[in-house]
Amino acid sequence: MAEPTGPALTAPSPAPTPASEPQPATENAPQTLPIRDSKPAKPIAKDATAPADAAGNADKALTPAELKKKAKAEKAARRAREKVEKEQVGGPAGGAAPGAGGQARAPTTPKKDAAGGAAQKGGKAAPPRRGSGPGPFGAQSAPVEQKKKKDDKKVAVFGHLYGQQRRTTVAGAGKEVHPAVLALGLQLRDYVVCGSSARCVATLLAFKRVVESYTTPLGTSLARHLTTHLSHQITYLSTCRPLSITQGNAIRALKLAISSIDPSTPESSAKATLCDFIDSFIREKITVAGQVIAASAAQKVRDGDVIVTFAGSNVVKDTLLLAHNQGKRFRVSIIDSRPLFEGKSLARALAKAGLDVQYTLVHATTHAIKDATKVFLGAHAMTSNGGLYSRVGTALVAMSAKERASGVEIPVIVCCETVKFTDRVALDSIVVNEIADADELVSSLPPQQLTGLPDPGANTPAPADNKKGGKPTTAAPTLETPASSSSTSPLANWKETPNLQLLNIMYDVTPAEYVDMVVTEMGSLPPSAVPIVHRISTNL
Amino acid sequence: MATITDDAAAASAKPFDIVATYNELLRSDPDLTMPIAAIEALVLLLTQSASSTISETLDLLEKSTAHLKKSIPNPIGLSAGTDLFQRYLITTLQRPGQLGPAGDFKAIRTHLLSNGRLFIRRAKESRHKIADFGRGFIRDGSTILTNGGSRAVSALLQKAADEEGGPSAVRFRVIYVLSSTATTSGDSSEEPEGMKTVRALREKGVPVSTIPESAVAYSLGKADMVIVGAEGVVENGGIVSRMGTYQIGLLAKAIGKPFYVVAESHKFVRLYPLGQYDLPIVQHVIDFQSEEDIAESTQQSSEATKNEDRPIELPLSASVDFTPPHLISALITDSGVLTPSAVSEELIKIWF
Repeated sequence: MAEPTGPALTAPSPAPTPASEPQPATENAPQTLPIRDSKPAKPIAKDATAPADAAGNADKALTPAELKKKAKAEKAARRAREKVEKEQVGGPAGGAAPGAGGQARAPTTPKKDAAGGAAQKGGKAAPPRRGSGPGPFGAQSAPVEQKKKKDDKKVAVFGHLYGQQRRTTVAGAGKEVHPAVLALGLQLRDYVVCGSSARCVATLLAFKRVVESYTTPLGTSLARHLTTHLSHQITYLSTCRPLSITQGNAIRALKLAISSIDPSTPESSAKATLCDFIDSFIREKITVAGQVIAASAAQKVRDGDVIVTFAGSNVVKDTLLLAHNQGKRFRVSIIDSRPLFEGKSLARALAKAGLDVQYTLVHATTHAIKDATKVFLGAHAMTSNGGLYSRVGTALVAMSAKERASGVEIPVIVCCETVKFTDRVALDSIVVNEIADADELVSSLPPQQLTGLPDPGANTPAPADNKKGGKPTTAAPTLETPASSSSTSPLANWKETPNLQLLNIMYDVTPAEYVDMVVTEMGSLPPSAVPIVHRISTNL
Repeated sequence: MATITDDAAAASAKPFDIVATYNELLRSDPDLTMPIAAIEALVLLLTQSASSTISETLDLLEKSTAHLKKSIPNPIGLSAGTDLFQRYLITTLQRPGQLGPAGDFKAIRTHLLSNGRLFIRRAKESRHKIADFGRGFIRDGSTILTNGGSRAVSALLQKAADEEGGPSAVRFRVIYVLSSTATTSGDSSEEPEGMKTVRALREKGVPVSTIPESAVAYSLGKADMVIVGAEGVVENGGIVSRMGTYQIGLLAKAIGKPFYVVAESHKFVRLYPLGQYDLPIVQHVIDFQSEEDIAESTQQSSEATKNEDRPIELPLSASVDFTPPHLISALITDSGVLTPSAVSEELIKIWF
């Protein structure tokens, strides 16, 4: 239908993401509504229904093609308005979805949408459909257009992950939130405290101060009230950055410890018990666990090994340093990625200790893997189906180690504390993940250019380039100059650039078959044993 | 304090030679597996020692275990037994009640020793249990390819053969892979490992064909399944077994025949090899030599025979390889038929 006019119209109209999107959406998603509408477009002029008649009067002078255009615009506007309403009512869950459009929304949060949207579709959205003719056309299209532009910037497949904007200040935080937690929230947000173990420890230490400064209000008991008091802190933390699996596990253990306190215990001793609990949790589950893992993983390092690792894991660092201190001679190849560059500090620490270190970014993976003999990886979490949930790019490294062209498999070893185990299941990296601010991808310093720098001022480098040869070399600086002269990244205005989306995803899932061994403080396991160990370690 | 106990342990260990006992046990009973022999040796050690405290007992145990492991060229199978026994001791001692740390040590000791004996008896019976579980795998008219001298495999096959003429008559054939390394390197008079099983099966009317290792790929087309034994079952579900098993596993996978492993559950080892060269033993299977090296080594060996004190080295006929779990269809054990990934679960159950 309306092939020639369709695209022309969608461009100015507030249509979502790609130009082709609205067509399938109208035909498939809320099937009953648009299809019935699109056909009546012509009959409407002659047929009954009062509002349509009113619209029909104005339409009389229009050609059939224009009529179609108009009907389409109405539809688009109406859909957009429904979304606006849903956003207002449905909160973050509803707000996240609209950019995704009907197709992306369906598989991810069908229930939420059905629950949140059904009432509106039936109640609020339906009446304007009947009388839509003139209504949304003039008055509402302007705000809708703005809304659209913002939604445009969310990548459809990950639409369910956007949620609310991360908190940027402490303004608006509840008065219950402890100053230590306030500070931690901002540190978490800015990646000052980064890495799932570090985040877990920092959270527990902050909570310890919360417990220390806590006094039970009159009329309640500590066991009952402290949990709710803590959940204010937790809510605040989760608005700064989504909680990690380790944080979740630690919080669960802490809440269990709180609720198991006998209400008759005096407050001071109850608080002392909790502080002891937090200290021993950190010691047993993270500090000592890390040492045990490093000791047993270091045994796997042999003389002459070339060990590849991805990003910066503390346990892997400890392992490699321990193996080095044991007198083993091996090389380390660190693969790192933008925008966090976690491998840099690892590279520095290892090089300082006297290890032979090679540092590359993730695009050189195949090169780094070529002479590797073992791969050591850190983890953010291990899921119950054996999947490794870790910094994005880990899966790439693990898979290229397993599928090296020469056919010789390189063992992939994961160092992971059992506190990182979760009973969740991850089949892909889409359903559960975290999206960071896309601006992090933009704001990188331009590389130091030796050839490009003198270019704008003097044209001395040009002959030098000519000497070396062909047209490509001379073409290169001219291409570079516009980018460097603007002094900012070409992506800087990505929010205003149409048809451009940036995706800054944080994690990915490595399937269990790409992992040979998981080293935990309870021994070395195949990834299939994760649920068993998780069960054992949480029941104890 | 520590030195006194050390001295006591050393003094009590001196008259009792654990290594000799272990070797003697293995020699005297051909049905005994390595882990069981190790446990039996440790039980004997405890009966003979005069230790009177728990820490003394554990210390003695640890020392003799380390000594035993060091003196045996291939301690993989043996360590399964010693680890299990040590673990069992510790859990018994930690348990509250009369046998716990607060209880009477003499009672604890007699309890330990009697239970140790019970364990050994049970372990010996496990082979029959495996045969019962595994019998169902051998169907009428099937052909089975096997190798090595595993007693568990032999028990399973004989059990299946015994039923011929009974209500569930199973007629099957066996292709037995005989190792060539034993005959070439060792004395020619010594028959290859597994000949005993071949004879026993033939006696029972089972048609057996013996082939060299080089004919495995050729013969696999005629076989319906592969059944092998194991020296140790490691944590990821792979097996450590006689050299040549790995290649049979690879071939079976390539041809698409099921590959079953028969092993007692006391052979489960807390070991996680990542590949062939990650085993905690020294094997000189691959030995690069030029003409010069050969000349040198012959000269050295002639000198060494005079000196007679070369370090123990695993002979090629006794060397082992590692079969990774993805090649194994199932493990037939006395605790049931397990997939390779269930092995770690079993091991965790034992250890935690």
